[in-house]
Amino acid sequence: MNKYKFPLVLCFFFGTIPIVAHFVNVEWVTAPSKALNDTWMPIIYVFAILLGIVNVVQNSWTKIKRREQGWFYAVVLLAGLFSMGFFGFTGAIWDTFGGTNLRPDGSATPFHWMATHMFIPLQSTMFALLSFYVASAAYRAFRARNLSATLLLIAGVFVMLGRVPFGDMIFSWLPGAENTFSGITEWLMDCPNAAAQRAIMIGAALGAASMALKVLLGIERSYMGKEQED
Amino acid sequence: MKALLDRLEDLDRRWIYLIVGVGALLPLIYPLNLPVTITPPVRNIYDYIEKLGPEDAVIVSFDYGPSTGPENDPMAEAVMRHILARGIKLVVIALYPLGGVTMSQLSLDRVAKEFPELTYGKDYVNLGYKSGGIAVLKAMGQDLHTIFPMDLAKRPIADLPMMQKIKSYKDLKLAVSIATGIIGEWWANLVNAQYGLPVAVGCTAVSAPKYYAYLRSGNMLGLMGGLKAASEYEKLVMDGYPALRRIYERLNGPGAGGGYTAIKGMDVQSVVHLIIIAFIVLGNLAYFRSRKRPHHSEE
Amino acid sequence: MDDLVGVWVAALLTLGLFSFLYKDNPYFRFTEALFAGISLGYYIGNELGNTLRPNLLEPLRQDFSGNLHLLIPTAMGILLYARYKKSLAWLGKYSLAAYVGYYAGYNMILKLHGEVLPQIQSTILPLNQFSAKFFHTDLIILIGVLAVLVYFFFSKEVKEGELSSQVFAKVSVLGTWFLMVSFGAAFGYTVMARISLLIGRFNFLLNDWILGTFARF
Repeated sequence: MNKYKFPLVLCFFFGTIPIVAHFVNVEWVTAPSKALNDTWMPIIYVFAILLGIVNVVQNSWTKIKRREQGWFYAVVLLAGLFSMGFFGFTGAIWDTFGGTNLRPDGSATPFHWMATHMFIPLQSTMFALLSFYVASAAYRAFRARNLSATLLLIAGVFVMLGRVPFGDMIFSWLPGAENTFSGITEWLMDCPNAAAQRAIMIGAALGAASMALKVLLGIERSYMGKEQED
Repeated sequence: MKALLDRLEDLDRRWIYLIVGVGALLPLIYPLNLPVTITPPVRNIYDYIEKLGPEDAVIVSFDYGPSTGPENDPMAEAVMRHILARGIKLVVIALYPLGGVTMSQLSLDRVAKEFPELTYGKDYVNLGYKSGGIAVLKAMGQDLHTIFPMDLAKRPIADLPMMQKIKSYKDLKLAVSIATGIIGEWWANLVNAQYGLPVAVGCTAVSAPKYYAYLRSGNMLGLMGGLKAASEYEKLVMDGYPALRRIYERLNGPGAGGGYTAIKGMDVQSVVHLIIIAFIVLGNLAYFRSRKRPHHSEE
Repeated sequence: MDDLVGVWVAALLTLGLFSFLYKDNPYFRFTEALFAGISLGYYIGNELGNTLRPNLLEPLRQDFSGNLHLLIPTAMGILLYARYKKSLAWLGKYSLAAYVGYYAGYNMILKLHGEVLPQIQSTILPLNQFSAKFFHTDLIILIGVLAVLVYFFFSKEVKEGELSSQVFAKVSVLGTWFLMVSFGAAFGYTVMARISLLIGRFNFLLNDWILGTFARF
C-alpha cells in the first residue's frame, strides 16, 4: 500500500465509525464514535478552519512585496488581521488584557471592543448592501415573461404583501376577511412551497448520501488533489 | 405616461437605491405602529414554552452571526425573555463560527439585565462557542460536560449549580436554534431525528421556505421565519407578560433611549415592501411596453 | 466616552461600506479590506478561546498523561498545514482523509435518517381520512412532491403517440409550477430578509450614532 492509497483506507475507516455506531448500540462499538465526537473532531476542525488564514497572509504578502495594484489595501487587510488576531491569540491563551470577552466588571476587552465596534458593524453592513441590490434586481429582472415566471412573480408578491401588516389591511374593512393575505401566504408556504421543498430535499439528500458513499469507498477522491484522481 | 415608461427602462440604479433608503429611514423617524398578526408556527413555540416551568431547562443556540443580526437578534431576545420570565433554566451556546458567540454574549447580557432577581449559573448560563458543527451536536447527546467543559468565562461548568442536573439532551425540554444557514437544519434532522428532543427554529427569512418541510414532517414543533415572525413572538410575550410589555414599550420608543425591536422594524419592512412591489409593477409595465415596440431586443 | 468612540468608529465603517452604492471608491475599498482582515482575526480569538483552550490546552495542562490521546487530533490538525510544503504535502492528506471520511459518514446517516425517511413518511399519509385538511393540504402536498420528483428524476423524452412519455411531460410541467411558487415565495422571503438587515444598520445610524451623540452633549 503506497502513501497515496493509505489515506483512502483511513477515510473509509473514519467514515464507517459513525455509521456502525448508529446501527449497533453497543458500548464498545459506540465508544470510538463518542471519543471522536467529544474530543477529536472539534480540535481538528479548529486547525482546518484556521487553514485559510495562512493562504490569505501569503497572497497579501506577495501583493505587497510586488507592489501590485491595490497593495495598500492588502496592508490594511493584514493590519486588521494581525491586530484582531493578536488580541484574540493572547486573550484566548493567556487571558492577556482580560481575555476575549467582557471583563467581570462589564468593561470590554480589546478583542471584544473590536468585535463589537468593528467586526459586527462591518459584517452587518456588508450584508445590508444586498437590500439595495435585491430591490434593483426585482425592478429589472422580475418580469412576467411566461406562465412559470408569472407564477413566480405572483407568489413573490403575495408573500411580500402577506408577510407585512399592509397585506391584511387591504381587506380589513371586510368582516371575517381580516387575515386574508397572511392566511393565503401561510397556506402558500405550508402547502405548495413545502411540497416543492420536500421534493428538493429528498432529491438532494439522496444525492448527498450517495456522494458520501462514493467518498467512503474511494470512488470520489477529488478532495485529495489532482494526483490521486486517477 | 408612455414617455415616463420609456425613461423608466433606463432608470439609473442609484435612484432605486435612494428611494429604498428613504423608504427605510422615514418609518424609523415617524413610526407607523402597524398591527401584528400571529401565525400558527410562531404560536406553537410560545405555547410549548408556556407549558414549561422552573424545573425545566431549555437550550438556545446562537447559530447566526452579525450578518443576520437584525433579523435574528429580536427573535433570540424575545424567546430568552419568555424563558427567563417563566423561570425556566436557560442554557445558551453558539455554533456559528463567525460571530455567534459575540451575538450570544451581547444578547444575553441585554436580556439578563432585565431580570436582576435571576443569577448566573443558577438560572442561566452561557457555555460559549464550540467548533465542529454536527460533531458538537452529536457529542451533546452523549455528554454535554465533555464537549463544553467550561463556560464562556472559562469556569468549569461542573461548578455551575444548574449544570449539575443537565448532562445531555435527556435533561432538556426544548432546543431553540436561532439560525442562519444550515446549522438550524442539523437541530431538526440530527438532534430531533436521532434524540427526539423537541426543536424550534428561528431562522432568517431567506432559509424559511426550506424549514417548512421540516415543520410539516414533525422534526420541528415551531418556526420563526424572519423579522415578521420575530415581531409575532414579541407581540405574544407582550400580551402574556405585563413586565415584558413594559420592556418592549421602552424599546419601541423613539430616540436614543429606545432599542431595536422587530415590531419597530416591521414598519420599515412594510413600507419598503410596498416600494419594491411598485418597482416590480413599473418594471413590468415598461417591459410590456418595450415588447409592443417593433425593434425590442428583449430575450 | 469609550462607548461613544466605538459608536463613531462603527458609524464611519458603516458609511464606508455604504459609499459603494454611489460608486466604487477608496473609502469603500479601505473598509472592505479591513472587514476581511478583522473577520479573519476574529476567527483566531474565537477558535482558540472557545475550543482549543477548553478542549485541548486546559485538559492537557490539568492531566497530561490522562489526556494523551488528545495529541492525536492535534497532530492530525497540524498535518493539515503540511500542504504548504510541497515535499510534505502528502502527509496532510492523511488527516484530510480522516476528516472528510468522518463527516461523509455522518452526513450519510443524517441525510437518510433525518431527511429522506421523515419527509417520505409524512408525505405518504392514509388516504381514508377525507377531512377538509386532506383536500386543501395533504393531497396537494402529495401531488406536488410526486410532480417535482418526476420533473427532477423521471423526466423522459416526449415521443409522438407514446402515452406514458406525454403523461410524464404533463406531470413534469405541474412539477415546475410547484417549484415556481416555491421559488417565488423564496424570493419574497429573500426581499424580506435583506430589508431587515438594512433596518438594523439604519436604526444604528439614526438612534445610536446621530441621536446617541446628541444625547451626550
